[in-house]
Parts: sequence; C-alpha cells; structure tokens
Amino acid sequence: MLNFDWLSGVSQESAKIVFLALFVLIGILVLFIPNEYAYEGVEKDDRHWWNNLKLWAIGVLAILFLIYYIF
Amino acid sequence: MLAGIDYFIVIAYIVGILLLGYYFKRFVSSSEDYFLGGKSLPFWAIGMSIVVSDIGAMDFVGVSGQAYRYGISVGNFDWIGSVPAMLLAAFIFIPYFWKGGMYTIPEYLGKRYNSSVRTIASLTWIIFFAVDLGVLFWASAVLLNVLMGWPVWVSILITATVVGFYTYFGGITAVVMTDVVQLVIMFVGGLTLVFLALHAVGGWEELVDKISNMGPEYRQHFDLIQPSETKTPFPWTGILFGLTFVMANAYMIGNQAIVQRCLTAKNEWHAKASMIFGSALKMLIPILVLFPGLMAIIIHPGLEDGDRSLPMMIKSTLPPGLIGLMFSAFFAGLMSSVDSLLNSTATLFTKDIYEPYIKKGADDKHYLKVGKITTLVLLIIGILTSPISSKFPGIYVAIQTFLSYFQGPMFAILLLGIFWKRTTQWGGLSGLIIGIAFAIYLNTFKAQFFTIEDPFLYVSWWSFLVGFIVTVMVSFFTSPYSEDRLEGLVYKVTGGKNNNKQ
Repeated sequence: MLNFDWLSGVSQESAKIVFLALFVLIGILVLFIPNEYAYEGVEKDDRHWWNNLKLWAIGVLAILFLIYYIF
Repeated sequence: MLAGIDYFIVIAYIVGILLLGYYFKRFVSSSEDYFLGGKSLPFWAIGMSIVVSDIGAMDFVGVSGQAYRYGISVGNFDWIGSVPAMLLAAFIFIPYFWKGGMYTIPEYLGKRYNSSVRTIASLTWIIFFAVDLGVLFWASAVLLNVLMGWPVWVSILITATVVGFYTYFGGITAVVMTDVVQLVIMFVGGLTLVFLALHAVGGWEELVDKISNMGPEYRQHFDLIQPSETKTPFPWTGILFGLTFVMANAYMIGNQAIVQRCLTAKNEWHAKASMIFGSALKMLIPILVLFPGLMAIIIHPGLEDGDRSLPMMIKSTLPPGLIGLMFSAFFAGLMSSVDSLLNSTATLFTKDIYEPYIKKGADDKHYLKVGKITTLVLLIIGILTSPISSKFPGIYVAIQTFLSYFQGPMFAILLLGIFWKRTTQWGGLSGLIIGIAFAIYLNTFKAQFFTIEDPFLYVSWWSFLVGFIVTVMVSFFTSPYSEDRLEGLVYKVTGGKNNNKQ
C-alpha cells in the first residue's frame, strides 16, 4: 500500500500520458487566470503581450511538455 | 591538478565576488534592507538568484553522481519537480506573501495559525539549514580534494570565509546580485564541460547507443519515467505523488531561502515574474549537472562512488584555463547556496525567534545587528556539522532525506491555510506535529514499508497526506478564526479585495 504496489500494473507509457496530461491541465488552469491579475503591478500603459505572465507560463509548460514527450 | 592559469582564474573570481558583495554594504541601513533588499530588486535578478541558489554543490556533485548511477530520471527534480510548483507559487502563494509584507514563511503560518506553528516551522527550517550548510561544505571539500588535493578542512574554511564576508556585510542584496554573476559563470563553465565531453564521447547519439548497450542495468538510463517497481529512488509513482504533488510545492512555496528572494521584488508583477523566469532557467539545469554524469559512464566506467564522476570528468576533459573556469562555476554554485542559507537562517532566527521571544520592541538597528551575528554563528555551526554528510551514501539523497521529514506536513498546512478558511490553529498545529512524527516513523522503519532503495519521495507523500487529514479532522472539531482575522491570509476571504492593492 505505502509502496504504491497497487499501481504496479500501470505501464511506463500510460504513466507518461498521465504526466503529459498534467502539463496540459496546468496550462488550461493558467489560461483561466484573469489578465488583470497577470499584469498586477504593471501600469496600464505599459501592458503588452510580452509582459503578460500567462504567456510566460504557457511557454515554459510547452517546453516541459516537449521534454517529457521525447524522453 | 590546476595549472597556473587555473589558479589565476579561480583567485580572480573569488576576489571579484568578494568585492562585488562588499559593494552592496552601502545599501544596508535597516533590517528591511538586510533581509528584504529594501523591496527594490528586479525579477531577472531574483529569478537568476532562485535558480543558482538551488543548484549548489549538491547538484553539481550529487546529481552527476545520481545520473551516473540511475540515468536521466534524476532530471525530474529540475523539470516536473520544479516548473509546475514554481508556477503555482508565482500565481497563488507569492502574491499573498509579498502583499502581506512578510519576512518569513513561518511568519505567515504564525498569522494564519498561531505562534506555536510559527516557532515549530521556523526552528525546523533553522535546523535543516544548519545541516544543509554542513552538506554543502562537505560537497565542496570532496571536489576540491579530488581536483587539487586540498585537505578537506582547508576547503571548508576557505568557502566559509569568502561567503561569510560578503553575506555578513551586504545582506540579501549582496546575495542576490552576486548570484547573478555566479549564474552566468556557472552556465559558461558548465556548458563548456558538456560540449567538450559530448565531443569526446562522439556526440549525443553515440552516447545513447554506448550506454544503452552496456548491459541490462543501463537500458533505462534515458527514460525519464521509471517503472513503479524500479529499485532506483525515482519510480514514476514517487515522482508524481511525492515529488510533483508534495516536495516540489513544499520546496518552492515553503522554503524560506527560495521565497525570501521573491519578497525582495519591487512590485507584485516582479515578484510573480521572478518565479516564472526562474522556472525557465531551471529547465536548463539538468544539461549542466546531469549530462556530465552520463558522459562519465563512457569515459570513466566502473566508478564505485558516483559522486566522483563530475570531478573525474573535469580532470580528464578540460584543458588548463577551462579547468579554472569550471572550478569557478562549481564554486559559484556552492557559494550561492551557502549565502542563501546564511541570510535566510539569519532572517528566520531574528524575525521568528529573537524578536518575539528574546527581545521585543527593540530598535531596528538592534535587529540588524542580531541578523549579522546570527550569520556568523550559523557559519560556525555549518563548519562543525559538515562531517555528518559523509555518513550518507549520496549527498543529494541525504538532503532529500532531511527534507522529507517535514516538507510534506509543512506543505499540507500551507495549502489548507491559504485555500480553506475553516482550517483552525489547532488543526494546523496538530497536522504539522503528527505529520512530522509520521515521517520520522516511516524513515526509521522504511525497510518494513518500502522496497525501493531510498523511499524519501514516498515518505514525503504519506506524511503530507497524514498531515492534511489530521489538519482537516482537528479543524472540524475546533473553532476557526473570524473572517476579519483571516483577511489577507486566505484565498477565498481576500481574493477580490487584494487584487486591487498595490
């Protein structure tokens, strides 16, 4: 039980899908964050797509997804 | 052994860092300057500092050793074991801590729960940091002993003197700004080693082919996701439940040395951005620390101690001049980790122990002085405790073992504290104590419960779960604080209001 023996039947391929799905889920949650919150602290006039922290987060997650997809 | 040019580079680096760190002494005139950099630092410096602080000696030496033994699965710690947690920290936790004007994580726990929780959390971190310091000192001594034949204690004393000097005078601003330089040097030195070593083994595809054909024990050296029944410490179940869900979050959200940097940000956007920028840099770290261990399998097969793979690679692969650069890179990683621990522990002790229990209401200069003295005392403790880590088989795993005792329960009460207003002070206190006790119990009798080599990932998961359940159960039977009392501390209670604050 504590050793997670009950998950020993799950293959490495299935486990990989779980990991990839987790990244997608986090990405979706990031997209739900209000833009106003992502820009908090930036003056209205200085708000551009490149300082939208949601896009930063999606970019990082995309690279992470790629690493786990390859390996 | 180092050549003359290597010695020159190393000495120039050490002197340069000393001077740079000392320069920031002029910006320290209050305890807020010393502990929070006057809340004036930009995201890029903080992000770089977070990353370089997290990859000290333990990653350079320990992760290379783990990669030598187990393959790329150790990279999970810097990928899935960091990025999602850093995003959660950036968007949920850091803004609360930053807006609340916190100095420490236990300070938040004290406001959310009670002073007992604050004290237990703070003392636990102080003890862990002291032990961690010893581990870092020992790691440096191992490398210096192999590379230069320096006696272990000489290496430890040199490291302690250099780092202690600029941390004592410059506070966290010196720590963060020297970290920026140290990250650049670390990347240049580390990447140089990787490219030359990759060339020496005939390229990436050749590396994969050779290792994969070395025998059955090497077949899964290039699988990030290991089977749940693997004998390595990194089964996918442990990586997902223990690392991703618990330890990563506990580390990035509950670790004073990490979070304190974000609290130095000049505004909320910089605080959030520092974590996300740091997560992007973090993904590059396995290239620096993991690849040399893999390549050592080909160039130095059959090493009994995997932790010797990186020093051996440096000696055999790099020409004079570049050895000095790589050595400086290692020194950079080591110093950045040590300075973080020193400053963070000084903050924890001054703010969570000294100020509430020993001398309340003193003037700010007094607390600044206490912070500086604590830095020196911790340095001595770190030196004296450094031989402890030699009793553990792997340096990196040793640190994870220390962490797994309390990371799970700590994260459980942080999570419930910020997301569930019904969580009570007694729930949090019980969850923390019983969770830590359960983790110690599991570690003590691990042979009866687990089949893998080192089950620290499983221990952190189960102790988190126990801490979580105990906190919830006790909370149901005790009285919660009023909503007024929880303003600014709980997500649902303050979310809308706080979004409009600067």
